[in-house]
Amino acid sequence: MAYIAMATGFLLVLIGFYGALTQRNLLRMIVAFTIADSGVNIVIVAIGYMRGRTAPILDATVSAAEAVQRIIDPVPQALVLTAIVIGVGITALMLAYAYRLYERKHTLDIAKLTDLQG
Amino acid sequence: MDFDWMKIPYAFLTVFIVVNYGFLMTALIQKIGARVGRRYGIPIWQNYLDMIKNYGLRSSITHGAMFYLGPVFRLSGGVGLLLFVPSIYGSYMFSNLSFAGDLILALYFVFFGTLGMALGAAESGHPHAAIGITRGLSQVSMAELPFGLAVFSVALQYQTLSVTDIVAAQQGGMLTWTLFTNPLAVSAAMLSFLGSMMRPPFDVVIAPQEIPIGPPTEYHSSYLALMQTNRVIFPVAKIVIYMNLFFGGATSWPEFFLKVFLIYMWSAFVGVVFPRFRVEQSIRWFLVWAVPLGVLSIMVV
Amino acid sequence: MNALTIFAIGLGTAFLLGLLGERQKSLGYMLTLAALTFMSAVSASWLVVFAATGADSFDIFTAGTAPPFAINLRMGLIEAALTLLINLTGLFAAMHMGDALLRLGQRAMAVLIIAIMALCGIVLTRDIFNLFVFFELIVIATAGLVLLSDDDSALAAGFKYLIVSQFISALLLVGIIFAYHATGTLNIDGMAEAAAAIDPSVSGAFAIAFFLMFIAVVAELKPFPANGWALDMYEAAHPGFSAVFSAASGTAALYAVDKLLQIGGTDWLPVATGIGIVTFVGANLLALPQTNDRRLLGYSSIAQTGLILTVLGQQDIFGDDYFFIAGGLLFAHALAKAGLYWLSALVAGRTLPDWAALQSRPLLVFAFISCVAMLSGLPPFPSFYAKWELAHLLVAEGRSGLLALILFGALVEAGYLFRWFGYLIKRATPAESIACPAHQLLPIAAAVLGGWALGFVWGELSSSYFGRTNLLLTLPLFFALTFLLLDWLPAWVKNTLAIGGMVAFFSLTYAEYDPLRLIFAVIFLIGGAVTLLASYHAHGRRIGFYPAAMLMYAGMIMLIRASDSFGFFAAWELLTVGSYFLILRGKHSEPHALSYIVFSLGGAFLILAGFALAASAVPPAPTFEIAQLADLVQPVAPWVFLLLALGFMTKTAAIGVHIWLPGAHAEAETDVSPMVSGILLKAGLYGLFVLLMNMGKQSLYGVELTYVMLWIGAITALLGNLMAIFQEDAKRLLAYSSIGQMGYALFGLALMNHLGWLMALMFVINHYIYKSMLFLSVGGVAKRTGTREMFKMGGLITLMPLSFIATLIGIIAVSGVPPLSGFGGRWIFYNAILTADARLPMVLIFLSGPIAFLYLFRLIHTIFLGQLKDEHRRLKEAPFWIILPQMIYVALLMVVAVVPGMVLRHVDAYISQFFPDGALNWEGSTITSQFGYWNPVAIMIIVGVIFMLLFGWLLFVNRRAQKVKQFNFVFSAERPFRPETTHFAWNFFAPYRKAMGFLVQPFVTRFWAAVTDLLHTAADITRRLYNGNGQTYAFHFLLFVVAVFTFRMGM
Repeated sequence: MAYIAMATGFLLVLIGFYGALTQRNLLRMIVAFTIADSGVNIVIVAIGYMRGRTAPILDATVSAAEAVQRIIDPVPQALVLTAIVIGVGITALMLAYAYRLYERKHTLDIAKLTDLQG
Repeated sequence: MDFDWMKIPYAFLTVFIVVNYGFLMTALIQKIGARVGRRYGIPIWQNYLDMIKNYGLRSSITHGAMFYLGPVFRLSGGVGLLLFVPSIYGSYMFSNLSFAGDLILALYFVFFGTLGMALGAAESGHPHAAIGITRGLSQVSMAELPFGLAVFSVALQYQTLSVTDIVAAQQGGMLTWTLFTNPLAVSAAMLSFLGSMMRPPFDVVIAPQEIPIGPPTEYHSSYLALMQTNRVIFPVAKIVIYMNLFFGGATSWPEFFLKVFLIYMWSAFVGVVFPRFRVEQSIRWFLVWAVPLGVLSIMVV
Repeated sequence: MNALTIFAIGLGTAFLLGLLGERQKSLGYMLTLAALTFMSAVSASWLVVFAATGADSFDIFTAGTAPPFAINLRMGLIEAALTLLINLTGLFAAMHMGDALLRLGQRAMAVLIIAIMALCGIVLTRDIFNLFVFFELIVIATAGLVLLSDDDSALAAGFKYLIVSQFISALLLVGIIFAYHATGTLNIDGMAEAAAAIDPSVSGAFAIAFFLMFIAVVAELKPFPANGWALDMYEAAHPGFSAVFSAASGTAALYAVDKLLQIGGTDWLPVATGIGIVTFVGANLLALPQTNDRRLLGYSSIAQTGLILTVLGQQDIFGDDYFFIAGGLLFAHALAKAGLYWLSALVAGRTLPDWAALQSRPLLVFAFISCVAMLSGLPPFPSFYAKWELAHLLVAEGRSGLLALILFGALVEAGYLFRWFGYLIKRATPAESIACPAHQLLPIAAAVLGGWALGFVWGELSSSYFGRTNLLLTLPLFFALTFLLLDWLPAWVKNTLAIGGMVAFFSLTYAEYDPLRLIFAVIFLIGGAVTLLASYHAHGRRIGFYPAAMLMYAGMIMLIRASDSFGFFAAWELLTVGSYFLILRGKHSEPHALSYIVFSLGGAFLILAGFALAASAVPPAPTFEIAQLADLVQPVAPWVFLLLALGFMTKTAAIGVHIWLPGAHAEAETDVSPMVSGILLKAGLYGLFVLLMNMGKQSLYGVELTYVMLWIGAITALLGNLMAIFQEDAKRLLAYSSIGQMGYALFGLALMNHLGWLMALMFVINHYIYKSMLFLSVGGVAKRTGTREMFKMGGLITLMPLSFIATLIGIIAVSGVPPLSGFGGRWIFYNAILTADARLPMVLIFLSGPIAFLYLFRLIHTIFLGQLKDEHRRLKEAPFWIILPQMIYVALLMVVAVVPGMVLRHVDAYISQFFPDGALNWEGSTITSQFGYWNPVAIMIIVGVIFMLLFGWLLFVNRRAQKVKQFNFVFSAERPFRPETTHFAWNFFAPYRKAMGFLVQPFVTRFWAAVTDLLHTAADITRRLYNGNGQTYAFHFLLFVVAVFTFRMGM
C-alpha cells in the first residue's frame, strides 16, 4: 500500500514537472506545479505510513505508554501540513503574478516574457 | 690626482701631426680616386687652400646656439677620439690621454661628435640636413654592429679592454696580429669600416645628387673649416683604433702613416668600384654579410 | 537577550503593520526601521558577547523539549556575525528603499521584515525542515519584494524565480523526507551523527536523499549555469532589494550549505568545490560582456558566492582558518555588493558608462572604488587577507590547480570591475547632476565604512593568529590614507605635506637599509619628493591625486621594508593600485590604465602563487621570510623562481607583457609620467634583485632560467628601442624607450655576475634621473603646445631653452655617450659581458645600443630643432615648477657622471657578498676592472677643455656671425612654403621601417587581443543559454541537477 502511494506520488511529481516544463500557458504551469506539490505530499505521507498501525492521536484507544508501538510516525504528517500550507501560499502568489502579468503584458505565454536575457 | 702636465703639449703635438698628415693623405686619396675615374684630381695641398679660404670668408651667419656649437661638438669628438687612444705603441709621448679610459670610452666617444653635429645641422631647419641625419643614423646603427661584435671578440680574445694591452699582445711579428689570429672578427670589422667612411656604396648620408651634401648643407666659412679639420682627424682617429685592434698598432710614425693609409685605401678602393646603396639596402647588406661574421667571431673565439 | 527575540520582533512587527490603517504609512515605516534596528541590536549584542568573552556557542530550545522532538536554534560567534550582517543589510535596505516602501505601504514593509527574519532563521536554525520553511518564506517574500521595483520586467523575473523555486522546493522536500526516513531525525546535528553511523544497506538511499537536499540548497546560491532566473531578479528588482538578495540571501544560503555539508561529510566537499569553482569562473566570464550594471553585479554576486562555495568545499584543509577565509570573502562580498547596488540607485542610466554621473561626487567615487577593491581582494580589505591564506593553504595541500582557476576567475573579475571604474572616471558626465538623498547615502556609507572597519578587524585577526602585519596600522599606508581625509585642502598644501612626509620618513629610517635597499629607498622617497616638486604647478584641489600618489609611494617603501612574503606582497598590491589610480587620471588613459591593472594584477597573482608555493616547501611557520627563498631546493625552487620572476617582469614590462606600458606612461599626466616611469618601474627591478639575490640560478627541465631571462632582457632591449623609433608621440617614444632600458637592466641582472648587477643598479639610478627628466620636459612642452605629436612641434629651442637643455642632457645620458653618466652604465656593461657565459644574446644588446640614437635624435630634433610652427610663436617656457625638478636632475646627472663611485662603490662592496669576483677597484678617481679602466673625472675635464678651446677658437674666428631668420637658408634659391612642409619630422625613419619593420609588427598586441576576444566570444556564446524563458531556466536547473548527480556518482 505504502509503495503504491509512493509510486503514485512520484508519478504525480513527474507529471507535474513535465507539465511545468512543456506547458507554455502560465495557468497550466501553475496547475502542473500543484500536481507536483500533491505528489510530493503523497510521497511524504507514504514515507511515514507504517503497516498495521493507527493514527497518531492519543485518546482512549491509544494510551501514551504504548504509543510508540501503536501509532505511525506523526512527524511526516506534521510536515505535510506545513508543506500544504506553503504550497497554497506559493500557488496563490503565482496566480497573483499571472494575473498581474496578464494585466501588463496581455499574454499568458511564458515564452513571450523574455525581455531580460543574456 | 697626479697629472703629468707635459701630456698637454704632447697631445697638441699628436693633433698637429695627425691634422697635417690627414690633410695630405685625404687629398692624395681623392687624387687616386680621381685618377681611377680618368680625371686629373685636386692638388695635394688643396685642403690647406680650402682652410685658408674658409677662414677668410667674410660673410658668416648663424641659425642659433646649437647651430653654432655643432662644429665644435664635431671637432671635439674627433680630437677627443684621437687623444683617448694611444697613437704610437711604446711611446710615452704619443700615448696621448689614454689614461682617461679604455677602448669602450673611445667607441662611445665616436658618437659625441656625431650627435652634436646632428643637433647643430638640425637647428638650421634645412630639410636636407634632417634627411641626411636620419639616413646616417639609420645606416650607422647597423654598420656599427659588426664592429661592435668584432671588438667584443677581440676583447674576449685578449681578455682586456685596454688598447695598449691589445697592441702589446700583437707585438710578436705579423702573424700575431689579430688579422691572423682572429680573421673572422677582422673581416667583420673591415666590412663595418666601409659603412663609417662616408664613401660609396655607403655615402647616401651626404648623397650630393639628392640632398646636396646632407647634414652640413648650411655650414660655411669657419664652421666648415672646423668640420673639414674634423673630416681629416676623425677618419684617422678611427683608423688608429682599427690599426691598434687588428693590425698590430704602430711603433713609429712612419709605420703609423703607412698603416693608416693602407687601411684608408680599403674603403677608397671599394668606393670607386661600387655604386651607392639606398639606406635600407645598406642595412640589409650589413645584416646579411657583416653581422653573421661578427656573430661567428664571438662564438668561436 | 534571547536570540528568539529576532523572530518575535520580526513576526510581531509584521502583524502589527497589518493592523495599521492605510493612512499610517509613515508610522509603519518608522516601526519597520525600529524593528530592524532592534533585530540588528540583538545580533550585535551577541556578537559583542562572543567576541569579548570567547564563549562557546549555545543552543536555544523551543517547545520545552530537546531535539529531535522540537526545533532548536544555535547562537554563536558565526551566527551572531551573520545575522548582524543580514539584519543590518535589511535595515539599510529599508532605509534605502524608503520611497518605494512608503508607496506600496505596510504590506511591503511586513514582507521585508519577514524576509530578513527568515534569513536569520536560516542561519540560526538547526532543524532541516525548519530550514525548508524559512527557505519557502524567503521565496514568497522575495517574490513579493521584487514588485517594489519600477521596472516592468520585474514581474516576469519574479515569475521565473517562482518557477525554479517550485522545482527546488519539491526536491528539497523529497530529500528531507527520505533523509528523515533514513536517520530518524530532522535535527541537523542529529542527522550528521546518524549519517556517520548509517547502515551500509541504506547508505545509497540516504546518499540520494542527501543529494536532493544538497542540490536544492546549493541551487539557492544560483550556481552557474543554472541561474538565469536569478540574474533576471538581480537586474529587474529594486536595487535596494537586490542588495538584500545578493548580500543577505547569499550569506544565509551559504551558511545553509555549510550546515548541509556537516551532514554529508567530506565525501561531498569535492562536489561543493566543483560547483563553486565552475560558478566562479563561469559567472565571471559571462559578466565580461555585460552592459547592464545590475546584471553585471548579479553575475559578480553569483561568482563571489561560487568562490565562497569553493572555500566551503575546501574546508577540510583549512582547519581553524576556515571561518577566517570564508568570512573574509563573504563579508567583503556582501558589503561591496550591497554598497554597489545601493549606489546603482543613484545612477539614472543602466549602462556602465552612465556611472560617469558619479564623477562630480568624490565621496561616491571613493565608495565605488572601495567596493571594487573589496571584491578584487585588494589590501587592506578582509578579502585580501583571506585570499592570502586561501592561496597558501591550497598550495600547501597540493591543490594548485584549483588556485590557478580561482586566480584566473579573480583576474577576469578584476578586469571587468576596473573597466567599469574606468568608465566611471573617464566617460562624459551627464548634464544633470545626480540627486543624493541622505537616506540613500547613509546605507552606502555604512557599507563602505563597514568594509574598511572589517579590513581593520581582519588585519588584527591576521596579526594575532598568523603574526602578519595589520596593514592599516603601518605608518606609510596610514599616511597615504590620511590624504583621503585631507583632500579638501588646496593642492599645494597637500603637496608640501606629501614631500615633507616622504623626506621625514626617509630621514627617520635611512639607517636601517643596506646599501642596495638604500639606493631604492632614496629613489622612491627622495626621488619621489623631487618629482613631486613638479606637482606644485597644479592649481585647485586636485581631488584624488594625493591619496593615489601616496598610496603608490607607501607601497614602494613598504616593499623595501618588508621582510616577510606577506608584507612584500601587500606592498606590491598597494603600489600597483596606487599607480593605477594615478595613471587613470590621464585624459585618454582609460583603456591603458585598464590594461595596466589587468597585467599588474595578473603579475601579482603569479607572485602570490610563487610565495604560496615557496611557503609550502619550508617547515610550517607563521611567516615566510623573504630570505628563506634561499633555502628552497628542487623540485619546488625553480617553479617558485619562475612564478616570481614572471610576476616581477610584468612590472618591468618585459617583452610579451609589455603592451600595457606605452599607453599607461604616455597618457598619464605630466607629473605622473615621471613617477610611474622613473620611479615605479624600479619596484619590479627591486623584486628581481631580491629574487636573484636569494635564489640565484635555477634550472627547470635542464633549462637555466636566468639564461632565459638573459634572452628576454636582450629581446626586450632590442624591440623596445626599435618600437621607440617609430613613434610619433613624444611620450610614447619615451615609454617604449623605458621598455628597452628595463630590458638592459633585466639583462644585467640575468648575467648573474658582479658587474652585471652593478650595471643593473647603474641603470636603476640613471634611468630614474634621465627618464624623469625627459618625461617632465616633454610633458612641459606638450602642456604648452597642446599636443604630443612631435611632427606638430619644431623649433622650440629658442622659446623653451631650459626644456631643451634638460632634453639635451637627457638624451646624451640615455645614449651612453661620454662624458655623461650613461657611459658608466655602458662601460660596466662591456666589462660584465666579458665574464658572462652566454654570448649570443649580446648580439641583440649590441644592436639595440645604436638604435637608441635614432629615437633620441628624433625626440630632440622634431621638438626643439627644425622649423618653428606659426601657431607656436608665442609659446612660453614650461611652468617654473616643471622646470625646477628638471634642473635638479641635470645637476644630479652631472654629479653621477663625475663621481659615480659616491654611490656605486658601496653597492659594489655589497654585491661582493653574492659574487666575490669581479669587484671594481675605486682607487683615486680611476675605476678599474679586471679588463679595463675608466676615469670619469679626467674624461669630464678633457672633453670640457677640448670643447672650450675649440669653442673659444670659433668665437674668435667667427665673431661677426649674424643671426638670421627662420627661412633664411639655401633652398634652391627659393623660400620654403610653410614650416609644416619644411619640417622633416613625420615618419622620420621611413627607410629603417623598410629594412627592419618586420621586427616590430604588433604580434604581442595581437596575441593579447586574441586572448581577450576569445574570452569575450566564449562568454557571448554561453550567454545565449540565457534566452530569458523561465521554462528554459527550469530546464537548465534540472540538467544541472542531473549533471551534478552524474559527477557525484562517478566520483
